[in-house]
Formats: sequence, structure tokens, C-alpha cells
Amino acid sequence: MQVIVNFYSYLKDLTGCAQALEALPEDSTLDALFQQLITRFPKLGPVRNSILLAVGLDYQDRNYRLKSGDEVSLFPPVQGG
Amino acid sequence: MKRKLEIVAGPISESALLSQRQMTDTMGAVVYFLGVVRGTEEGAAISAIEYETFQRMAEHQFGLLFDEIARRWPIESVRLVHRVGVVKVNEPSLWVEVVAPHRGEAFAACQWLIDEMKRVVPIWKKPVEKLQAPNPKSQ
Repeated sequence: MQVIVNFYSYLKDLTGCAQALEALPEDSTLDALFQQLITRFPKLGPVRNSILLAVGLDYQDRNYRLKSGDEVSLFPPVQGG
Repeated sequence: MKRKLEIVAGPISESALLSQRQMTDTMGAVVYFLGVVRGTEEGAAISAIEYETFQRMAEHQFGLLFDEIARRWPIESVRLVHRVGVVKVNEPSLWVEVVAPHRGEAFAACQWLIDEMKRVVPIWKKPVEKLQAPNPKSQ
């Protein structure tokens, strides 16, 4: 299956792109996608513990089961105000 | 509970927002907060902050926060405006207003909303460094 991954804030600088398309085995978890992204974009490694993950418009934990076509967002801690 | 959210690229007009206030005669407290860009960020002088958002998710997350406020306190209305893009020093980046029967719930809800916004709403900021005047001795 394929999912769309969006990067925000300085994660765009670390990956060199705002969006990526990732292929994964069916029923993969969000954590499996995250590990795959760390391998593909090694500069995410040092900030991995602070990265927030959302699927669609909601935060999800690492055990979330992805579906084909899901839109996943990765971003650093938020700083509104 | 009435709610109004605006994520805007242009300046926040405090006077326009105040003139649009609506409240019934059972309400006795209005708390509003203005967040303003400071001239320093981590000790360095800056000229502005550039705000970026994931707007659809930000609107959704603000909606969840407004739902929670309605569950927790007897609030009549909440209005929130957040700027995105470049906001210069001394300009407001955030305006929040809570209308409630009494000051206790108005203060509590306003404080809670801002704290939670800073925890879950996908907005990020990047300081814009102040350009240094050229040093004549180095020319």
C-alpha cells in the first residue's frame, strides 16, 4: 500500500522535501512507517524523539494501523501564540 | 457556546474585534488576551517571527479544544484569531476572547485554551533575525 507523508516546519529542511510517497506492506503500523522514514531521511534521526505524528487531522500513537491512501504528517513540537 | 476561529495572514485589528463583541445580559465577564511578538528570541534580537501552520489540522484541533471548553465551563462565546506568515516585533500574533457569567470561568477557560493551543495546535514559528547595520570599520 502507499501513504502520503507531509513534513512541516524545519522537518522540511531536514528531509529536503515537503511531501513523500511511501510504499509499505498492508496493515503496517505508524511506527513501521516512521522507522522507514528515518532510514530514508537520516537527518530525522537526531530529532526523532520530539517528532509528532498525525494521520489525517488527528494525532495517532505509533501502534496505529495505516490504511492505503492515508495522509500522514510529521512535525516538530508546536509553538503557536 | 458560540465560537469563532480565524487563522489570518493579515494584521489583527483589535479595535474591529472589540466592536464585534456580542454578549447577553446574563454574562458578567469578558477576558481577552493579546499575544505580541517580542524583540528577542533566545537572547538574540529579531525583527519578526514567521508563523507556519497545517491549517486544516489546526482548525480541527481548535474545534476539539472549543468542544472541551463547552464541556468544562459555562462559556457563552469564544473567539480566537491567530496570524500566520511574517509578524513583526510589537505586532499581535494571537487574540483570544472568552465571555462567561463570572470571571473565574472566563480566566480559567482563556488560560486553558492558550496552554492547550501551545500543546496540540500545529502552528510553528521561525524567528526572522534582525539585519545588523554594516560596521563602517569593516568597509
